[in-house]
Amino acid sequence: MIFLKVLSRVFWVAVGCTFLFPLYWMVTMALKSKNEAYANPFGIPTSWDWLNFGEALSKYHFYTYFQNSLIYTAGTIVLTLTTGSMLAYCLSRMQWRFNSAALFYVSLGLIVPIEVVVIPLFQLIKTLHIKNSYLGLILPYSGFAIASCVLMLYAFLRSLPKELEEASCIDGANVYQTFFKIIFPIVMPALMTQCVLIFIRIWNEFPLAFIIASKDQFRPLTVGLLSYFVNVGVADWGLIGASMLLSSLPMIIVYLIGNEKIENALTAGAILK
Amino acid sequence: MNKYFSTKLSIFVFTAPALLLFTVFCVYPLLPEIWMSLHDHDGFRNLGFVGLDNYREVLSTPSFWTAHKNTYLIVAISLLLGLPLSMMLSLFMDVQTPRLRRFFKTAAMFPAILSVTVVAQIWLAFYEPNWGLFNSILHSIGLSDWTHSWLTEKKTVMPSIGLSFLWQYIGLNAILFYTGIKTIPKDYYEAALLDGASFAQVCLKITIPLLQNVIKYVLILSTLGSMAFYSHVRVMTAGGPGDTSRTVIYQMYYTAFDTSQFGKGTAIAVLFIIQCLVISFIIQRFVARGKLEF
Repeated sequence: MIFLKVLSRVFWVAVGCTFLFPLYWMVTMALKSKNEAYANPFGIPTSWDWLNFGEALSKYHFYTYFQNSLIYTAGTIVLTLTTGSMLAYCLSRMQWRFNSAALFYVSLGLIVPIEVVVIPLFQLIKTLHIKNSYLGLILPYSGFAIASCVLMLYAFLRSLPKELEEASCIDGANVYQTFFKIIFPIVMPALMTQCVLIFIRIWNEFPLAFIIASKDQFRPLTVGLLSYFVNVGVADWGLIGASMLLSSLPMIIVYLIGNEKIENALTAGAILK
Repeated sequence: MNKYFSTKLSIFVFTAPALLLFTVFCVYPLLPEIWMSLHDHDGFRNLGFVGLDNYREVLSTPSFWTAHKNTYLIVAISLLLGLPLSMMLSLFMDVQTPRLRRFFKTAAMFPAILSVTVVAQIWLAFYEPNWGLFNSILHSIGLSDWTHSWLTEKKTVMPSIGLSFLWQYIGLNAILFYTGIKTIPKDYYEAALLDGASFAQVCLKITIPLLQNVIKYVLILSTLGSMAFYSHVRVMTAGGPGDTSRTVIYQMYYTAFDTSQFGKGTAIAVLFIIQCLVISFIIQRFVARGKLEF
């Protein structure tokens, strides 16, 4: 019995290590010279070669892509959270005839995956003349993120007592002041959760960005990295390793700092239902 | 107070931006999608109404059926293999020391936060026929006959891509299950232990039945996620060799953007949306219907 227990533990720890293996592999690959990458693709490098990073930085437009990813993600977060929280507030607090209808309408957004409307979205964005601008991706991303944002904030706001708003109402604040000065800070935890969720989703989004951001100067990291891989071909895995590590580093740092927050955010949906 | 706040203007200001964004970019595109699927459209010009011809032609294309076979293979892999593995992983996490569990959770979620491009490229290196990880291991343990050129052989390409997808999301699903397990009251376990139940009995009779809401959530998430499987294929094989590794979404992209047949592309999309709706309806209707209180 004890033997079985030890065996199963060893097995699962091995499984855990396979999840971390890519990190090890990216780091070691990035430090290998071109020849060593072929001779010893999965071992520890015999000599450390930092040249890959310099070369990757000069050929791979890391800064541009990084900046674009940041703009897309931040833009989507700001737009979704402000508009989404306002709608959720109205649905949970204000007296409006169409409250439940609007809630149902928004929840439909959870069923449609963004991939299936890529073709009409592509046409729409061309018609609106925002194809070669940051708005071309930020607006559709926000449109698709709003459904889950509104539903989550709605659940959160409904559980909040109304006394605070009544107090501010008596003090003569209008609805905008009440919302931005009192409600906004209170729903911060829920907003942070949404922030994390949208960050992970948009930072790694691929299918839509691949079509819409066709100009190199507007490509985010995910798409830019692919076009770089295509350029390098399979000739130089050291370079590929370095560019992969560079592209993943921002996300890895964010994850290491806030992994418990990220975990809570990702699992929030599972318990809410 | 509610009356005081709810003027026509304030309701408009609070609802209009979100509803507008949602309607224009998430709901409205469905209309041109249906409209376009009934027309001959090359991406720039509408070449006339063709009725259901697009659908007829799409349905008679062999690639369309290959794509469906591949997509549902991925769905099957992630449901029949992925979910049980994730469940076992989460049950295992539950009985570990807190430190080991911490390591495990951090490690398990790591692949899910990496971008698809990076993950797919890593697996490209694992499957590389000459020096890749799998073939090297097979050579070194004397099973050279089992080596394959994984991503260029018709037989192995789809399961290989599926494995990379499976690996990326097993850990995340395990953590979702584990969060559910933590919300089950401890009394149930104590009672079971007093009655002398074994670990397997506890899992089958207590944990899994009480977890059904979370299971349903993960089921919907991974079914719809694997239905829309596309990015890994794009990076790893670009649908090749030939059309053997195309999924439905890939076939849609290919038809619209690579061959400029937007009408047929949208026809594929419409057929696909119908499948998504039917499948999520089936899950909603038949899985975990009873509400559990504990």
